[in-house]
Amino acid sequence: MGLKKAFLKLATIGLGIGLMTSAALAANLRVLAWDGYADPDWVKDFTAATGIGVDVVFIGSDDEIWAKIKGSEGQDFDVFAVNTAQLQRYIKADLVSPIDITKLPNQKEVLPRFRDLSQVSGDTKDGKVYGIPFCFDSIGLIYDTDKVKPAPTSMSVLWDPAYKGKILAYDNGEHNFSFTALTLGYKDPFNLDAEQMAAVKAKLVDLKRNVLSFYTTADEAQQIYQNNDVALIWANYGQQQVKALQKIGAHVAYINPSEGALAWLDNWVISKGVRDNAAAEKWIDFMLTKKVSGELSERTGFGNTVVESGSAGSNDKLVWLNNVEDPTKRSDLWNEIKATP
Amino acid sequence: MSGTSSTLPGERRLSLLVTVLAFSLPIIFVLVPLAIFLVYSFFSVDQGTIVHVPTLGNYIRFFTDPIFLPVFWNTIVLCVSVAAICILLAYPAAYFLTTLKGRWRYALLMLLLVPLLMSYVIKIYAIRSILGLNGFLNKALVALGILDHPSTLFVFNMNAILLTLSLLLIPFAILPIFLSLERIPQTLLRASDDLGASGLQTFLRITLPLSLPGVASAASFVFVLAIGDFLTPQMVGGVSGFTFGRILYSQFGTAYNWPFGAALSVALAIVVIAAILVGERFGRSRGTTV
Repeated sequence: MGLKKAFLKLATIGLGIGLMTSAALAANLRVLAWDGYADPDWVKDFTAATGIGVDVVFIGSDDEIWAKIKGSEGQDFDVFAVNTAQLQRYIKADLVSPIDITKLPNQKEVLPRFRDLSQVSGDTKDGKVYGIPFCFDSIGLIYDTDKVKPAPTSMSVLWDPAYKGKILAYDNGEHNFSFTALTLGYKDPFNLDAEQMAAVKAKLVDLKRNVLSFYTTADEAQQIYQNNDVALIWANYGQQQVKALQKIGAHVAYINPSEGALAWLDNWVISKGVRDNAAAEKWIDFMLTKKVSGELSERTGFGNTVVESGSAGSNDKLVWLNNVEDPTKRSDLWNEIKATP
Repeated sequence: MSGTSSTLPGERRLSLLVTVLAFSLPIIFVLVPLAIFLVYSFFSVDQGTIVHVPTLGNYIRFFTDPIFLPVFWNTIVLCVSVAAICILLAYPAAYFLTTLKGRWRYALLMLLLVPLLMSYVIKIYAIRSILGLNGFLNKALVALGILDHPSTLFVFNMNAILLTLSLLLIPFAILPIFLSLERIPQTLLRASDDLGASGLQTFLRITLPLSLPGVASAASFVFVLAIGDFLTPQMVGGVSGFTFGRILYSQFGTAYNWPFGAALSVALAIVVIAAILVGERFGRSRGTTV
């Protein structure tokens, strides 16, 4: 008898604790983000300011975000970070909720280019806002200030015979087609028709003849820069690449070309399965404060949407990356370009 | 555990288990994956998804598209050259090793094989710095007065791939040649000497023919390793050093054209298997007749 009683008591206590923790978990905001987007000190400040606990899960690739969100139909997370090129896919699959911007006072204070979200391609659908931009970086041009004078203003400098054999380009067909299309003055670099595609291809064959090598990692570009006579680098890794080069004493500077620089843009979005919409809005608004956004740029080297940073001046034209018309086709053409003698 | 009374059934069961394992491991980890990639080579890709309907399209494309066959052929020529260079450099080294006595022989052999312990990528990085415009090779050539100014001949082209692959793969050539040289009975050499042959005659008529199996396996080794490599061409090949491995690799990244990549792999596999068979044939016919 005594044993049974004790057992029952234990079970009751256990159940009580279980209920308590699950209640605590229910109150916690579940955030899915890249490393660097939800640092512990910000989370602590957020909890101190709002009383909302936060559980952060970090991801390592776009595919992983998709797998996690799609896998639970959005039920496992309240807020997550995703780039503009990917966001439309989530909207189409009905995995994200529209966001009421009036609940985000800080969104009114962001840099001019991010104020009207209908102008940020990929963030809206049917007049509803689905993504709040907070972090970006441009893919600009790094030039050696001793070798390239005057400072370049356009990617067209990559075709300048004066720099033959002194150029590092990036080994990726998709991006190379897009930036060359911009250089040629095409309106939509992500949707090229057959004629434009052929023109870009011919232009890229010319580029190849001017290039020393195609690199894949930032580290690799840096090593080639150190051991060879390099004047210009097409900077796939943007600010991080510039800073790394400057750290080893290279005299380099960075520009976003006048015809427009390709740039990626990450957004906070609210999932379909959000448990507490108000908490999610508070989180996004908190991330848009001058303090957090400024620190984000300081720590990661990326640009933010609130405070000016090295990624882009206020007059620089940025073209947000989007899905291209046919990645397989671009990759095949890129191989043909590389195989052209 | 009912069969514990007699040891025989237990033993039989154990041996059966070992046999099953011995056969199933290669089947699961080698044959099945190979079969899967062979099957994939008959699929196609449409709008980023793989269409599981058999087609010969990938193979037709390989043979008709103007870019693949020339690159394929150039890559084969490149890798045969790599194999030839490795043999030419490795043979004297291996021969020198066999002339050494006792402990020195193996100590030196170990030293020659030490590069194999280092990471492959680090070696490529190092070689690339040596070959670069401001690299050691150019600096040395300019300092010696052989070149007036640094040359771009050594990096980011086919020469660079040839040099780098040869450097990386020489240990794989030294070992088989050394082993075949070492296996030549000393009595044969002494007999040749007794019968009045000169050192050169002994080398040409006895040592060289008897070491050819080692040379053949060394050549096929190096060739196979070189032709499957995509990283070296990617890192030192620049814009003109475009090889088959690089095309193959590109099919699996953003292109997401696994079926075509698989078809290209089949083409590569056929060449590799042929090289291994040729190497083995030479290796055996000479080896067994003595």
